[in-house]
Amino acid sequence: MEKRYQRNMKLMTQDEITALKKKRVCVVGCGGLGGYIVEMLSRLGVGTITAIDGDVFDETNLNRQLLSEEALIGSSKAEAAKSRIQKVNSEVEVVAKAVFLRDDNAVALIAGHDVVVDALDNISTRRILEKACSVCGIPLIHGAIAGWYGQVTTIMPGSGVFSKLYPETAEKGIETELGNPAFTPALVASIQVSETLKLLIEKGEPLVGRLLTLNLLDHEYQIFEF
Amino acid sequence: MIQVNGKPMIWSEGMTVASMLKEKNYIYAKIVVKINGVFIPVEKYESTFIHDGDDVKAIHMLAGG
Repeated sequence: MEKRYQRNMKLMTQDEITALKKKRVCVVGCGGLGGYIVEMLSRLGVGTITAIDGDVFDETNLNRQLLSEEALIGSSKAEAAKSRIQKVNSEVEVVAKAVFLRDDNAVALIAGHDVVVDALDNISTRRILEKACSVCGIPLIHGAIAGWYGQVTTIMPGSGVFSKLYPETAEKGIETELGNPAFTPALVASIQVSETLKLLIEKGEPLVGRLLTLNLLDHEYQIFEF
Repeated sequence: MIQVNGKPMIWSEGMTVASMLKEKNYIYAKIVVKINGVFIPVEKYESTFIHDGDDVKAIHMLAGG
């Protein structure tokens, strides 16, 4: 038993920890949600993590994005994710893709992964990602945030959840009015990672066909069935 | 009485989706509404009446990351 994963025991068996080392998870977006997600996945001991983001850090990211640092303004978010994972857990194979996910590259980027995690910040790219996950037969863990609010759902291939969640022409949600603080992405990312782990080790009851909504202002936590 | 997101809300005669959202202070343009499981498009908020006993879901549309 490696000391590194000693505190993961009880939560997982030795066999599950070993199995996790062979799993591949793709995180699309390395900003507010994605930074926390890659951090937690690497500490859990997921074997391979692909971090995708074509963006670079700017000063407005510093209030919430775990991977952002003053010295990294102008640097690639995907490369920062790789650097962080390598510092936290050198056993993890990490692939940084400093590109934006688009219609013409989505399938190639996500193919071969066991789970894809949605840490994007816009609806049109989410639709592209959901479609690519369906094509590849990969589950997608969706998370989104705005101000005090967050949501998470686990999307199985072909279930077409985003067409139920977002109106056809929508591109942004209320985050444009409410902003994004530090604590909401940390919480939503944690739930996304727990969903990811449940799928990877086939444990518990994931949020399939259900949307968990979080309202931290009034402490309302609800599950809506599709 | 109606249920809005699982919580009771006092119903009044003539209540529409638009008036309910206003009363709840929901940001009108970025919300998804369902009544008894049926999706209500935004252009019908003013003309769709909520009936006593209805189960209303009004979810803010979130897309940040």
